Amino acid sequence: MLLPFVALSVLLSITPAFALWPLPRQITTGSTALRLSSGFDIKLSVKNAPKDLRDAVTRTRSFLRNDKLEALVIDRGASSAGAIKAAKSLRSLTVSLVSSGPVKSISDEAVAPLEARVEGYSLTIPADGSEAVLQANSTLGLFRGLTTFSQLWYELGRDTYTLEAPINIVDSPAYPYRGFMLDTARNYFPVDDIKRTLDAMSWVKINTLHWHVVDSQSFPLVVPGFKELSDKGAYNAESIYTPSAVKEIVDYAAARGIDVLAEIDTPGHTSIIVKSFPEHIACPEAAPWTKYANEPPAGQLRLASAATTNFTASLLTSAAGLFRSSYFSTGGDEINANCYAEDEQTQADLAAQGKTVNQALDTFTKVCHDALKKVGKTAVVWEEMLLQHPVNLANDTLILVWISSNNAAEVAQKGFKIIHASNEYFYLDCGGGGWVGQNVLGNSWCDPFKTWQKAYSFNPLAGLTEDQHHLVIGGQQLLWTEQSSPTNLDNVVWPRAASSAEVFWSGAGGNVGTALPRLHDLAYRMKKRGIRAIDLQPEWCALRPGKCDLAA
Amino acid sequence: MHDSAIPPGLLLLRTFWAAMKFPKPLFVFLSASQSAVALWPIPRNLQTGNTLVKLSPNFDIQVTSIPNAPQDLLDAVARTTSRIRSDKLQRLNVGRGAGDSAGLAHAPSLARLSLWLTGSSVKSIMEEINKDIAGRSEGYSLSVPSTNEGLATLTATTSLGLFRGLATFEQLWYDDPSGTTYAYQTPVKIVNDAPAYPYRGFMLDTARNFFSVNDIERTLDTMSMVKMSQFHWHIVDSQSFPLTIPGFPELSQKGAYSAQEIYSSADIQDIVQFAGARGIDVLMEIDTPGHTAVISTSHPEHIACAQATPWESFANEPPAGQLRLANAATANFTASLISSIARTLPSTLFSTGGDELNVNCYTKDAQTQADLKSSGRTLEQALDVFTQTTHNALKSIGKTPVVWEEMALDHKVTLSNKTIVMVWISSQNAAAVAAKGLRLVHAPSDFFYLDCGAGEWIGNEAAANSWCDPFKSWQKAYTFDPLASLTAAQVPLVLGGQQLLWTEQSSPENLDSIVWPRAATSAEIFWTGANLPDGTPRNVLSALPRLHDLRYRLVQRGIKAIALQPRWCALRDGSCNN
Repeated sequence: MLLPFVALSVLLSITPAFALWPLPRQITTGSTALRLSSGFDIKLSVKNAPKDLRDAVTRTRSFLRNDKLEALVIDRGASSAGAIKAAKSLRSLTVSLVSSGPVKSISDEAVAPLEARVEGYSLTIPADGSEAVLQANSTLGLFRGLTTFSQLWYELGRDTYTLEAPINIVDSPAYPYRGFMLDTARNYFPVDDIKRTLDAMSWVKINTLHWHVVDSQSFPLVVPGFKELSDKGAYNAESIYTPSAVKEIVDYAAARGIDVLAEIDTPGHTSIIVKSFPEHIACPEAAPWTKYANEPPAGQLRLASAATTNFTASLLTSAAGLFRSSYFSTGGDEINANCYAEDEQTQADLAAQGKTVNQALDTFTKVCHDALKKVGKTAVVWEEMLLQHPVNLANDTLILVWISSNNAAEVAQKGFKIIHASNEYFYLDCGGGGWVGQNVLGNSWCDPFKTWQKAYSFNPLAGLTEDQHHLVIGGQQLLWTEQSSPTNLDNVVWPRAASSAEVFWSGAGGNVGTALPRLHDLAYRMKKRGIRAIDLQPEWCALRPGKCDLAA
Repeated sequence: MHDSAIPPGLLLLRTFWAAMKFPKPLFVFLSASQSAVALWPIPRNLQTGNTLVKLSPNFDIQVTSIPNAPQDLLDAVARTTSRIRSDKLQRLNVGRGAGDSAGLAHAPSLARLSLWLTGSSVKSIMEEINKDIAGRSEGYSLSVPSTNEGLATLTATTSLGLFRGLATFEQLWYDDPSGTTYAYQTPVKIVNDAPAYPYRGFMLDTARNFFSVNDIERTLDTMSMVKMSQFHWHIVDSQSFPLTIPGFPELSQKGAYSAQEIYSSADIQDIVQFAGARGIDVLMEIDTPGHTAVISTSHPEHIACAQATPWESFANEPPAGQLRLANAATANFTASLISSIARTLPSTLFSTGGDELNVNCYTKDAQTQADLKSSGRTLEQALDVFTQTTHNALKSIGKTPVVWEEMALDHKVTLSNKTIVMVWISSQNAAAVAAKGLRLVHAPSDFFYLDCGAGEWIGNEAAANSWCDPFKSWQKAYTFDPLASLTAAQVPLVLGGQQLLWTEQSSPENLDSIVWPRAATSAEIFWTGANLPDGTPRNVLSALPRLHDLRYRLVQRGIKAIALQPRWCALRDGSCNN
């Protein structure tokens, strides 16, 4: 980073009381009131500024005008009216790039390989009303800084103000991968729901949508050359993602600094393919499903069949072509051995080749991953592919650790990069009761509910040696949607999914007690922006930080 | 059990039935398909066939046989007429009803539903539901024939019964993929479907977080779709006082979260009318003497241990603060504010709360100790006087008091034998309430609390679960037995029950999805009773497809009800059981 030196020592306070989320990694604030001038403007001082940056500036202006969030204090800011009226006013924020190289769009920066992304920025807001300055080495960094700037302001009457000028921030993420996973196969989510979720993700600087787009229950993704998969596998003709809808989502995400990591889970979780390609699926809808799958309906790709392997590789290649990301997930979780043991065709294929199921899985995986590599995609897999099966993975493969966060150590020992997706901390669906039909008194398999506090207490480096730390590229919260749908999307996700956004931007070790007021603030701001975020406490508590703590 | 006597109208109905000349053979194959009909709550008496019937393009609902039909009944008919056209719910099977399309081409059509009132007087739905809970008549009979240009009939002794029948009729209709509206299991014959229990409620707390009039009315509308009869409105609490009380405007002026987060007297009347017109009685609660901290912002003289810290020593949740029950002025103030609001409400019921009294708060309050000393009373004796003061004030304006179970079980308080007790701490405490001969409403936290399972909401608890963990799934609620451990003689003491939403972690954003369809579970328990219409016990397995159906219908009506399973399962009854 070539950011200008900030004279931290002259600032009054080093304890930020206002509600930025995620908390910047270096921040100093003062105690002077400052308001936005009625003519306040954001001046984009970037030559040939890309359209997505100009649009981001427009959205920021709109947030400053329309958030109208009153401070979360008992009188909602009324007692500061005098100070605000007397405050200096800020006339402009100047946004500029530090480096003088070619200017890339936010979108291009966002879909670059993780190690190539530059998300840092510096933001200076003087207390005397002189111009505020946002600088970065990339348009993506400028976008992150605009996001921070838009969270600084509160409304009182007609004034938009902060009480904590001057503000100096030098910020960049602790981890490059900060994600959110959405399952659109158990229940379908329209494009607008996904776009609204992308907006909310961008406000907390999440940079990856892990899109678990298809599964055994439905196949909503229209894949060029494989249209019958969605024709016969989507819940209905309206519940699909066409290539143009996917492009819309990918572009919308990229313009908001978010890469879309798509997943077509293989060889398990593929029952629905039987509707269009019955020859490729073993144990389709076999009963009782409990013998053949972790959840209904059963059905897995015939991994030992050369035809099925080639079908899968070309399906993945075609699907990967819909996305801009450098990454694509082939899944690989929860393979059911019994499904293959009882499938005659698979047994015949294995016998003919003299292979075990695991050897066949190795071949299957290699063919799929090689095909992805050929189109420039790095493979991502769930942890079983590395830890439970003797599959040869390229050493740049990213591993999603979900069964237990303790398994990260074993992934690290094998020298692979880790994305934390621990069900014990990060599964947003847990705790809604068992969803299988007559499970009368059953709790969900991953009970209890994972509170924001639990997620926030996650330590990404637990159990790792110092020389393994670099293998942790980040993490994400996840929504499996057996019990979710558009009707509860916002409130099952927000503000909880912001917990990991802060863990992986600001670094672990945050304190739940001091985070809570900021998270209230985020939730209330999200509500102002049209997200149906849940309330964490009675409003009485939200207006009185600490008063609803134990031993308060 | 209640309301199970055959109403006088039934004889008349039988005569009518004969006059309609339905071909008898249509009913012979009925029992096999009964449980597949997606009615919720399922009627106590139900026969269905398997004939497709289209809704005629000219279909109408006729009320001309009812002289001076009350406006709320006419409005209900208009809503039903609109819903059967606008629901556009497709059947929950793999083809979404495509398999019915061929048959529909030649299917008979239903021309009309006629409403018949067989009671002696014509009262509005609201007047009927606001009657004493023991005196309501909610039963109805419904027949939908399979004949072409058929005439369906709905008969009841009261407008309230007709309204319940309309709620049933509305749930019979689906659209096939080409948009034809039809019922698939006619003829339908329901004879005297009447609730097992009169109290079928839902409780909403509007004090921890505020809910707008629109949110409440949308919830009332949904409640009426599953024949709920009581809205228990926990309207104020220690955190905020959004209720405007005539003569006590300062309580909400200083105690509401903001000037916009207040229920004006007009709002209250609006909600009460809206509910009444939908067959719902509004049972309001002003919880006393605990859960009243916010009153200290306008009347500090009446509140002990106001916002005392650490709150754990003085209350079950922050902020601490209780009415000074030993103080005569405070008791009179309380009685007067309770009667001031209660007299504006049409219900015969009013709750004075009485849960979670904190003794330490009074022990440490100098004023309370002085009051006790001068009156020579123990705290329990003072609570008795306080409660009698408020309950007598309610009785003098014709209201029956409702209390939480502690008032009957934990304290030595004199309660009139008309008092209704809400059992919440444990379902097992119902037996103790019944042993005292008091009527009870089931509201057990171990089955019916909708807020449980979302984690501890107290701020600095890093990894704690909610106090009433785990989440109460619909399946758990559905297994509740209202008569467990009661003697046959005690059965009449059970008025019914309700699911409840305490809102520490809820707000308008998640209201629909945390309540629906779960809260419909108790609506069926207390309407249908223990058995399905074929006499077999109600059970989770056969309920699930019907609950899916209800959920998808609610979504069509704009309610953000949660998905219970992947749609794959909802379309394939039984395939996602284990």
